[in-house]
Amino acid sequence: MISRVVAALRPRQTAHAHCDIPCGVYDPQQARIEAESCYKIIQKYHDSSDDVFRGRCLHVKEERAELAKHHIDVMWHDYFKPEHVEKFPDLHEVCWKAAKQASQVKRTVDLDEAQKLLDLIDKIDEMWRATGGPKATRMQQLQPVA
Amino acid sequence: MRRLIRSWRARVAVEGHSMEPTLRDGDWLLVDPHAYRHASPRAGDLVVAADPRQPGRLIVKRVERIEADGLLALAGDHPAHSEAAGLPAVAASALRGRPWFRYWPMRRFGRIARDRRGVE
Repeated sequence: MISRVVAALRPRQTAHAHCDIPCGVYDPQQARIEAESCYKIIQKYHDSSDDVFRGRCLHVKEERAELAKHHIDVMWHDYFKPEHVEKFPDLHEVCWKAAKQASQVKRTVDLDEAQKLLDLIDKIDEMWRATGGPKATRMQQLQPVA
Repeated sequence: MRRLIRSWRARVAVEGHSMEPTLRDGDWLLVDPHAYRHASPRAGDLVVAADPRQPGRLIVKRVERIEADGLLALAGDHPAHSEAAGLPAVAASALRGRPWFRYWPMRRFGRIARDRRGVE
């Protein structure tokens, strides 16, 4: 009897009051640093005539471009919310292009392609800033340079 | 009376410890889903909101502050569960209501203060 009453009183919905993990720290700079690595590595690749060094450049560029793509995806999937898409209707397009461009940088040693990746990440950065990202997702004592 | 009925329909069970001492794990609450229909949320309000990180999931938190762009920064009450950097800010449209009454457990049956942090 009592258990039936309790069952009737029991809420059907749960409101979570857990500590918030994942950490909630997001910053497109993470992607930007990896993309800058790609850019610099491509420069070094062209400046060198050492086949072994050039081989290492391609290998490291591959890794860095993959990391850039990962960090772009984290911004896209985890940071941006539907209300941000309302504010920036091309948000999906920009993130999608940036992730694609990271793949393009893997395939090539064309510096222009690396620059395109940087430019797309900077567009993500603009949207992150315009949606209050620096304040909402970074520790305040680590205020990023404007 | 209407408020009681709609709050009963929107009742929730608290899971987790980030709202202690105000709310405890296992508390059952009445939530007024119309609380923000005609009023704006204020800093310090206890709220139930859609989890900005996971669609379909509800969270219970306190509005820590209202950002310049109108988004609400939410946080827990428990000092060891500070989330200033943990939870993305949410739009007012993400609010699902305001918990105002605890009906279980019986020994803590009663109205919940709207905005006095840590005081029941």
